[in-house]
Amino acid sequence: MSNKMLGIVNLEPANVHVEGIDDYRPVSATSFLGRYRILDFMISNMTNSHIDDIQIYIKNRPRSTIEHILGTNYNVNSKKGRFSILYGEIQGNNELYNTDIANFKANIEYIEQSTADYVVIAPSHFVYIEDFNEMLAYHEKMGADVTIMYQSVSTAKEDFAMCDILEFSEGKRVAAMSKNTGKFKNRDISLECYIMSRNLFIELIQKATATSSLFWLSDVVSDSLGDLKVVGYPHKGYVTCINSLKTYYKANLELRDRLDDLVTEGWPIYTKTNDTQPTLYRECARVSGSLIGNGCEIEGTVIDSVIGRNVVIKAGAVVKNAVIMPSVLINKNAKIENAVIDKYAMITHIKELKGTEDEPIYVKRRDRI
Amino acid sequence: MKQKKMVAMILAGGRGTRLYDLTKKVAKPAVHFGGKYRIIDFPLSNCANSNITTVGVLVQYESVLLNSYIAKDHIWGLDIDGGGVYCLPPREKDVTGLGLYQGTADAITQNLDFLDQEDAEYVLILSGDHIDKMNYEKMLSEHIAKGADATIAVLEVPMKEASRFGIMNTDEDDRIIEFEEKPAEPKSNLASMGIYIFTYKTLRRYLKEDEKAKDSNHDFGKDIIPNYLKDGLKLQAYRFKGYWKDVGTIDSLWEANMDLISDKNTLDLSDPTWKIYTGDNNAIPQIIGPNAKIDVAYITQGCVVDGEVKRSVLFTGSRVDEGAKVIDSVIMNGARVGEGAVLERCVVMDDVKVPAHMHLGSKNSKNILLVTKALVNKKAEGKDHE
Repeated sequence: MSNKMLGIVNLEPANVHVEGIDDYRPVSATSFLGRYRILDFMISNMTNSHIDDIQIYIKNRPRSTIEHILGTNYNVNSKKGRFSILYGEIQGNNELYNTDIANFKANIEYIEQSTADYVVIAPSHFVYIEDFNEMLAYHEKMGADVTIMYQSVSTAKEDFAMCDILEFSEGKRVAAMSKNTGKFKNRDISLECYIMSRNLFIELIQKATATSSLFWLSDVVSDSLGDLKVVGYPHKGYVTCINSLKTYYKANLELRDRLDDLVTEGWPIYTKTNDTQPTLYRECARVSGSLIGNGCEIEGTVIDSVIGRNVVIKAGAVVKNAVIMPSVLINKNAKIENAVIDKYAMITHIKELKGTEDEPIYVKRRDRI
Repeated sequence: MKQKKMVAMILAGGRGTRLYDLTKKVAKPAVHFGGKYRIIDFPLSNCANSNITTVGVLVQYESVLLNSYIAKDHIWGLDIDGGGVYCLPPREKDVTGLGLYQGTADAITQNLDFLDQEDAEYVLILSGDHIDKMNYEKMLSEHIAKGADATIAVLEVPMKEASRFGIMNTDEDDRIIEFEEKPAEPKSNLASMGIYIFTYKTLRRYLKEDEKAKDSNHDFGKDIIPNYLKDGLKLQAYRFKGYWKDVGTIDSLWEANMDLISDKNTLDLSDPTWKIYTGDNNAIPQIIGPNAKIDVAYITQGCVVDGEVKRSVLFTGSRVDEGAKVIDSVIMNGARVGEGAVLERCVVMDDVKVPAHMHLGSKNSKNILLVTKALVNKKAEGKDHE
């Protein structure tokens, strides 16, 4: 059973741009919810679905991903299972050609080498919980060539910008795919997660390469709707799409309340342990409505925020509706509201930083302000 | 040239009867401590940080959980070539048959074959129920520099408490000239910490002799050390400065946890150069709810707090519901304090659910209350009859 699917954690598509943060690492490797990296959710979905051969594709800046994957036990037999971190060479020195297809093509021998019957391909910037065995059962029941996971949403105007919209004909068959330009409220949004046979996947990579060097996987699937039976698989439950600074910020704050329900004993999210000590709350600390990582030292006030590992918040400081990444120092009396503070930043001289919920302020990695 | 090797042996077989129900099902070294750790993480992490590669753990009492825990030697980074954590329960042997460990020294005697096989040059004897951050590498270099046959780690204790300990009387060069177990009138305040380094060749000879001695307790403090002294061997005291605590009772276990939130705390668990490693359990980050009030606390991942927590330590996955009050208490792994319940000066055992509105412990109690499932059930029944 476990060898039935090869798991592929795909690149984020071109519409994903988390301003500031992705200058330093791929979005998938960004710190998330005080303890995780974003891709921990997708990899845990795969390993919890008993997939133990997983390829993780990255475009560039591989250090943080490699370090993280090496240091994490995703609950897979370490002899039998395999995690491969793969990346393609940028072709023609142009980012436009750095598509997922180009990366698959560059690593095609590792996809051919696999003995799995099926592949499940999903990027990690959509965060949700899903058992891929259920999706595979649906795929087989429908007799589909390709199954795409989607979510019916009522927030397509403000969220899921430039994501794929699925349009169905009868029997959940996908008739057309288009980009979400935010014109309509209710739409069926593709979560860009596909199940298909490994052979068809290889064929589609060849077809895409032959068609256009600008093609992404979603383009070649869209291009094949007439020849192949492509069906939609409805995802139920929470989904968030992290494709901008605003949505990264929003996802953190939203999951603050939901994490406890989302992550159950039967479906843990695995991540790297840093052997960090518990968090110390000192005498004047006032903390509420927040998600807090280990290793913090809190003397100030924290309201409705997400605080990463090893963050120090000094007396008199107030952190509200903010996302603070690991190892940040918020010095005495600094007031932070609606902000994303990147790793190792030190807020000392500036006494007030205030963004809005729609436009959170971003403070760069290692900034000293 | 091959490095001279020091093998650590952790005595982890004690039952810990003074911890009552906490050790009814698990051995004392496996008891949780400090939010996310187990007691044995301390000696094991100290070994790892002191560049010791081979550690034997002598287990005996209720050891299933402890055995499986220490088997994961990668937790402390000890899964290295030529090293590892070895679980050493009493074994049936060709000549002597099956016998339990009769004393601290006997536990080592029964594993001389292991030490021979590991080609030990020095043996470090540790206790599985101490909380400290000791550098054993430094202790070894002093042992070698002084040309000692044995080195005993000592702690300076207040003179008035000295009669509770095994006391080392030393000369001006810290050579031990006399050892007195719990002396009524102590001559020095250097208390033995139960941590020894022995040059293996000599120790082997003494253990072999001790094995044959009919009237021996087969104990390091009572037999081996006195024999070394009697024969004029060189015993050196190694003065340790820093945090050290024997967590043998509910009160001392509670105190050691409370030390972590004290202003005067000297046990720094945040030092990146001397981390205490522990088994991770994929808990979510801690959730501090909208109604939470936290005033001096040590809280770890997996905790969900929506009540009031004052001067307390919450262990992995514990919960304090809305309106509950936890004061001067330790809430162990997976325990839950129900809505409106009030706890004061308590240690709540793993997985105990304190029902809503139950009051336990008191501000002026002489001893810390150990809250068990049985206690909670009894109290809940009593309430029904009121």
